[in-house]
Amino acid sequence: MQFISSSFVILWVITFALYYLAPGKRQWMILAVMSGLFYVAGTGGIPIGILLTGAGAYGCGIYLAHSLEAQKKALSDIADKERKKTVKQGFERRRRRVQILYFVWSLGILLCTKYMVVILPFLQKLGLTTPGSDAFFARVVMPLGISFYTLTAIGYVVDVGREQCRAQENPVRLFLFLAYFPAITQGPFNRYAKLQEEFEREHVFDYERMLFGVQRFVWGAFKKLVIADRINLFVGNVFGGAEDGLPGSIYALAVVLYMLQLYADFSGYMDMVLGISETFDISLAENFKRPYFSKSVAEFWRRWHITLGMWFKDYVMFSFVMSGTGRKIGKASKKRWPKMGKHVTGVIGTMLVWLLTGMWHGRTVSYILWGVYYGVIMCVSLVLEPQYGVWKKKLHIKEGKIYGFFTMARTWAIVFVADVLIRSGSLSQAGEIYRALLTDFRMKEGILSVTSYGLSKYGFLLLAAVCLLWLAVSIWEERGKDVRRMLAGCPMPLRWCCYYGVALLLLITGIYGGSYDTAAFLYQSF
Amino acid sequence: MEEKVLEILEEYCEEALDYTGDNMMEEGVIDSFTVINIVSELEDAFDIEIDAKYVVAENFRNKEAVIELVARLLEE
Repeated sequence: MQFISSSFVILWVITFALYYLAPGKRQWMILAVMSGLFYVAGTGGIPIGILLTGAGAYGCGIYLAHSLEAQKKALSDIADKERKKTVKQGFERRRRRVQILYFVWSLGILLCTKYMVVILPFLQKLGLTTPGSDAFFARVVMPLGISFYTLTAIGYVVDVGREQCRAQENPVRLFLFLAYFPAITQGPFNRYAKLQEEFEREHVFDYERMLFGVQRFVWGAFKKLVIADRINLFVGNVFGGAEDGLPGSIYALAVVLYMLQLYADFSGYMDMVLGISETFDISLAENFKRPYFSKSVAEFWRRWHITLGMWFKDYVMFSFVMSGTGRKIGKASKKRWPKMGKHVTGVIGTMLVWLLTGMWHGRTVSYILWGVYYGVIMCVSLVLEPQYGVWKKKLHIKEGKIYGFFTMARTWAIVFVADVLIRSGSLSQAGEIYRALLTDFRMKEGILSVTSYGLSKYGFLLLAAVCLLWLAVSIWEERGKDVRRMLAGCPMPLRWCCYYGVALLLLITGIYGGSYDTAAFLYQSF
Repeated sequence: MEEKVLEILEEYCEEALDYTGDNMMEEGVIDSFTVINIVSELEDAFDIEIDAKYVVAENFRNKEAVIELVARLLEE
């Protein structure tokens, strides 16, 4: 069930009505039931994956909580410091083993489903499949949102072990945390402690909040249907067309537009998720903070898919660096290279995170290269950061508006190179595009043929106009202004002109129907 | 102890000393790479072990929080 569909809107309205009619303490139950309904009815799939992952997380959480309790009790009876340390280490070792077992369990399910497309033909060759197994795997083994709920469940188990939250004793409440329907498909990655607090609170209907939520949803749909899907008409033809040897200038435009498409698509989806949740008075973490205003790649990734970055940082990078192995490597490196050795664990941790981020986004070599590319850039820039000030002084560079714009453009260029990799159909196509960009730009030919790739002159003009509107909103937000509150403070005629304007633009200029699946979001495939 | 913590912070992230807010990590004043270096230096300087569970935004929200964290671990 896609957000931009009548069935979803009906589900949303029914949930909304029941949610505010239910007593405060029971509101979470409405969300849990509707999340189950969304999952089963919406996808037609059997939720075996989420039940197995969830059951594992539930059992593991309970075990960890009991172990922590038993540890406290045991330590309170021991006076000797050394003995205390040994007992504590024993408990920690057992907890770590159970956690590792759970990670193998949940990641095993995830990997099996993600790589089923590779495994299934192999099984078919061996004659180990029966007629109808494809459909069985599609419905049972390929569950909706598996990447998201798996990482979310792992985060929960780690948080319980780190005593950053209490284990959930009610399995239905834990199911709601994992399967909360606005967020299950693409996130954001929620932290248990924060979201649980939201579910436990009593929520009272508020007209303004509901209006703000709907506004955000519509704005998200606008970004998706009017901007992202319009761009796709051009980008899809350039990258997916049978024609080879296009001018480098056409590829350059297609990649720039793809950068905007990906942002409009994913941030539009997030606006919808946050808008729907706002109508339920549930506050979720923001996943985007205008990334194209970033002055470095590190900043870009602090503003793009924020919750995924935080997840990898907290649960992979810090876990590795502070682990026994990480500490050993750190100490040995410092001894071996007194000046640069301190960076070794950070570099390994960063590369590990980026390699996993690449693998998480896709199964192909292109995604792994994409991850390695960002990992290397991050490591080099972070290791050399202390030198930047010295170089700037030597080169007499002053930090003004021009320098600020230069740093933003530098970030766009780095993202541009990476996006060629992930948008191309194969590594050879990516190579062909890099070659065309560097040696076969053909600017004049590109300008003359730009309207031959699915987007007319008027299509481009409309796209430019809506992108300008989007840019204006982004600049306001970047300056710390709340655009929705600004609108709410405007005189009524002007305010409703804006609302109707966006709604009409959405209805008239949104890309609907045709062969392109307008409802599907790009990040859904990751 | 406080002086030593501030000295380490100054070495790796001078801006942290002037920062007056309460979310250094999320506001990008201090990145994860710097956090790792600071943690490693603090461990060496005070002979403590800072577990991953302590490396959270709350304990690195500003310089006072880092001092508090070290004080707490020294007491344990």
